[in-house]
Amino acid sequence: MKKLFKGFAVAAALTVSAGAALNAHANTEALDKILEQVKQNRISEGKINKAREQEFLSERADKQALLNKAKRDLAAEKARGERLNKQFKQNEVTLAEKETELVNAQGTLGEMFGVVRRSAADAIGSIEASIVSAEKPGRAEVLRSLAAAKELPTTRELEELWIAFQTEMTESAKTSTFEAEVAELSGDINVKPVTRIGNFNLITQDGYVVYDVENKAIVPLGKQPASNVVATIGDLLNTPATGYVPFVVDPTRGAILRLNTQKASVEERWHQGDTVGYIITALLALGALIALVRFVDLMLVGAKIKSQIKNANNPSDNNPLGRILKVYHDNKNQDVENLELKLDEAILRETPRIEAGINIIKILAAIAPLLGLLGTVVGMILTFESITLFGTGDPKIMAGNISLALVTTALGLIAALPLILLHAIVAGRSKSILHILDEQSAGIVAAHAEKEKA
Amino acid sequence: MLVLVETWESIRDFVATGGDVLFVVAMALFLMWVLMIERYWFLLVEFPRMHKGIVARWDARQDTTSWYAHRIREAWVSEASEKLDERMLIIKTLVAMCPLIGLLGTVTGMISVFETMATQGTGNPRLMASGISMATIPTMAGMVAALSGVFFSTRLEARAKMAKEKLIDSLPHH
Repeated sequence: MKKLFKGFAVAAALTVSAGAALNAHANTEALDKILEQVKQNRISEGKINKAREQEFLSERADKQALLNKAKRDLAAEKARGERLNKQFKQNEVTLAEKETELVNAQGTLGEMFGVVRRSAADAIGSIEASIVSAEKPGRAEVLRSLAAAKELPTTRELEELWIAFQTEMTESAKTSTFEAEVAELSGDINVKPVTRIGNFNLITQDGYVVYDVENKAIVPLGKQPASNVVATIGDLLNTPATGYVPFVVDPTRGAILRLNTQKASVEERWHQGDTVGYIITALLALGALIALVRFVDLMLVGAKIKSQIKNANNPSDNNPLGRILKVYHDNKNQDVENLELKLDEAILRETPRIEAGINIIKILAAIAPLLGLLGTVVGMILTFESITLFGTGDPKIMAGNISLALVTTALGLIAALPLILLHAIVAGRSKSILHILDEQSAGIVAAHAEKEKA
Repeated sequence: MLVLVETWESIRDFVATGGDVLFVVAMALFLMWVLMIERYWFLLVEFPRMHKGIVARWDARQDTTSWYAHRIREAWVSEASEKLDERMLIIKTLVAMCPLIGLLGTVTGMISVFETMATQGTGNPRLMASGISMATIPTMAGMVAALSGVFFSTRLEARAKMAKEKLIDSLPHH
């Protein structure tokens, strides 16, 4: 096969050269030109190549220089890094040494500054919440910066700390009056004199006020305490500064006063009794009125009877004994049996008027606790109703109805007690008058008759 | 002196834990005992004199058997017994009132317990304890007051009755 391909290739070459040789005469000049041109070209191309080669070479030299430079730089940086690392370690050691030195130098002072910071931080709360701050605001700022400080406090700052403590102590021993903005319950803010009692309570002319720490404002209480407590305010404000005066102080600095506002007043309690409570009150009023009327009436009748006993000769019509004696005077001459019957009749006629109304007081006194019991039962029914609806989880829901139950019971007793006493007093009086009429009138008549006979 | 101050302090403590109702109990007790002591004074000192006076007047009478004499004797006995029974009704009422006042204290104490429950919840039993002591102490005080009165007022009544019987016995018809 190879031999065959060679044979073809030789044959082909001979054919081409034969063809060229055939045309050689026709175009030799052009061919020379081309040859010349090729030669020329070869020379110029060689030049260009040389220039390019030169260029590459020079460029290579440049790059090498750059590489060398970069390598040098790297080495330099590495060296620097090592150096810095070393220095850092050195610095660490130095720092530790210096710190130890510092601690040694501070000695116990370091501990003291810790204590200063801590006590400053502790004092902020109590001094801000103190009512002295109502009079002297802004005392906590110094302490706040002292507590937050990173560096050692200066002597001045240390002084500020004990001055703050000293101020609080000194002021807590004073009762002072100052002008301040006071919020009213209506929402207005008025400037008026406020008196501070130590660091316990603030008062104005109208009653106790409290210091709201969060808003740094003097605010009113929702409700003033009992009148006997508030009454001492007047004494205090009207006493000259040097005197001593009894005054009710809330030692919890307002906490009890605030709790007090949640407490129901007597009037609110009375309203808790609701309808049953009002009925009981009406019964008490009615009973007391009847008792009063009967008592006055019986006193008058008793006085008249007393004067009639002394003056048995002239029976008058304006009192029961007088009317009984009149019966005797009209029937002087009748026999004893007849006279006695007539007297008994007259006594019987007088009795109802003396006893009138007394049983009603007794009945009212008996009804009042029963009504209270009714209120109790109603309240318990409502309580169980609310338990059915809301369950027993919240004692506050139940407590409302239980208070209805208890308030009516209490009202029943409160109404019954004076009525029982009034009944005893009035019944005692009427009984003594009845005794006179019942048992003594016949005796008075007899004594009178004997005297007349003698 | 110190003993007095201490006593006063302990009384104040007692009243402070028991609440205002104790004042009412104390008032009722005080009134009751003042009246009872007055009654004892009358029975032991005043009445014997009165008794003697009435007996002497009766003995001085000529006529002790007629209708007039009977009525006069009745009137005298009635006057004396009225003097004996004076204020006994109030004493008895006060004795009966004492436990009722104690009961009032129980109820007001319970009101304060429930008020505490309504505002503070049931979390802290110590808050409720003051109300409970306000409920129990007046009850006890009322009971004690009533007990102290029951015995002596019953004795007084019996004595007055006996004094009256004696007076009747010493006014014979002769």
